[in-house]
Amino acid sequence: MTTQPATTESVAVPPPFERARPEDYAMLAEDVGVEYDLRFNRKTPIRQSLSAALTRKPPERFWALRHVSLRLEHGESLAVIGPNGAGKSTLLQVLGGIIRPSEGRVHARGRVSGLLTLDVGFDRQLTGRENTRLGCAFLGLENRVTRELMPSIIEYAELGDFIDAPLKTYSSGMRARLGFAIATSVDPDILLLDEVLATGDANFREKSKQRVLELVEAAKGVVLVTHDMQWVLEYCNRAILIENGTMIMEGDPESVVELHRERTAEARARAQERALAAGADERTLLVR
Amino acid sequence: MRASQLMRSARTEPEVGFRTDAASPGPLALLREGLGDIASRRPLIRWLVEADMKKRGSDTALGNLWWVMDPLLQMVVYVIFVTIITSRKIPEYPLFIFAAILPWKWFNAAVIDATKSLLEADRLIKRIQFPKIVLPLAATTAGVIGFAFGLIPLAGIMLFYPDRISPLVLLIPVIALVQFVFTVAIALLVAAGNVFFRDLGNVAGHVLRLWWYLSPGLYSLAVLDQSGVFAHHKVLRFLVGANPFAILLEAYRSVIYGSTDGPPHLPDFASLGVLLVASLAFVGFATIVFKRLEPSFAKVL
Repeated sequence: MTTQPATTESVAVPPPFERARPEDYAMLAEDVGVEYDLRFNRKTPIRQSLSAALTRKPPERFWALRHVSLRLEHGESLAVIGPNGAGKSTLLQVLGGIIRPSEGRVHARGRVSGLLTLDVGFDRQLTGRENTRLGCAFLGLENRVTRELMPSIIEYAELGDFIDAPLKTYSSGMRARLGFAIATSVDPDILLLDEVLATGDANFREKSKQRVLELVEAAKGVVLVTHDMQWVLEYCNRAILIENGTMIMEGDPESVVELHRERTAEARARAQERALAAGADERTLLVR
Repeated sequence: MRASQLMRSARTEPEVGFRTDAASPGPLALLREGLGDIASRRPLIRWLVEADMKKRGSDTALGNLWWVMDPLLQMVVYVIFVTIITSRKIPEYPLFIFAAILPWKWFNAAVIDATKSLLEADRLIKRIQFPKIVLPLAATTAGVIGFAFGLIPLAGIMLFYPDRISPLVLLIPVIALVQFVFTVAIALLVAAGNVFFRDLGNVAGHVLRLWWYLSPGLYSLAVLDQSGVFAHHKVLRFLVGANPFAILLEAYRSVIYGSTDGPPHLPDFASLGVLLVASLAFVGFATIVFKRLEPSFAKVL
């Protein structure tokens, strides 16, 4: 990751917002930037944090995301693609209201549900039912609604009597199904998905795919982070490419995926050249 | 409308959703938001407390019986050691000391659990938008239930000292309320602080131990007055008396135990009142600080 996002490489500049039909969007992000202060990072020990604070050393800052604007229409399925560490997950966190942007604004209309990983917040000692109750409460559902939803969640997750067994007895597939069932039970207007479609067996993948497609069809917006280009091409009607925290391109899935593939190939070739120039053994490069 | 209001019920508000931007709201807005978070997420706090209770009892042979055993065993240890090392005899010392161990254990556990509460939920905080204030609050509330269970052995001990039994024990919940408010403030601050400075968790244990010995738990303030330590240090005497736990422990003791030569009497309501008002202000301050730092939690964790 570099500290300076490559703004000059922008291929397509997203159009300014709130000009055309400001009422229609499901979600709007305007010039969003997320800056991390590396002094207060998990990896920074207290000695450094304190001494940095005391000596008033200039803060080490890092923009994980900068100048990103996007507009999600109702019924749209937007794919976010890009290499690892590009800022895709950070973008999803900002859109979910989990991180407050350091600059810019986000406006979501409707209930946003992040489904960023499946077994989040699960406690292995509690039963499936207790975890469901807790999970729904975290998502902001009222007790009454949770009670009503419980049977359908159990059914969707195909848990049967296991619902009253501690979660530590579950297989990873069962946990994934339960997590997915809870996250989609809130009936979100906007669904944020981070690489969740790759989990579980073929059966579950098919099922979750169906559910996501249902949500998309029910005029709900979906923002999806994925490396599964096949899904992007098949089910998304728009895609954005993010690299080094900046938006490189926004457009129809075909051209964005195409550009992503080209740039990945180029980057790989560049890395290989650099490595060879630095005197690396050609055999070690084969693994890349 | 801000992110924290994201999950509000769709029936009460015409538009669900949220706006976030880089600007942080003012202190009063933060306070209002914090109180709103707590009010709207009471069910979540309840489930969290219930889950906590269940987990605590689930992996030991004696289960929840430990809540009764723990303070009793601690009392036995203190009684043995204090009787050995001091010549001064306090009558009915087990009851004397138990009246202080019970509330202190609650405070101690609440603060320790609160420091861990946000760190243990790190994955959740990074994935779901919810008011983080519920986590330290649930830790504090779980302590109340442990305290309530501790009243069972207290009743048992009191049976051995029938002279000390009085209707004044009904005032215990009033004193506990003051303690709860004070504990919430501390819990919010240590929980938020520990996200940025992990060492706080280690420091907290030692500070708490020191605080316990500086508070009139194993001894009474009256003993200190007699010993002459404070004869020439009025400021010191004031500081010792201003310790919130001096007020709280003395109040508990006055209704449960009384004094060394007398039956239970009314607590010092003036001090308790001052402490309550100060604690409420303290909670307000702690809520503002917590809400101010909240947007950074997901980034730092």
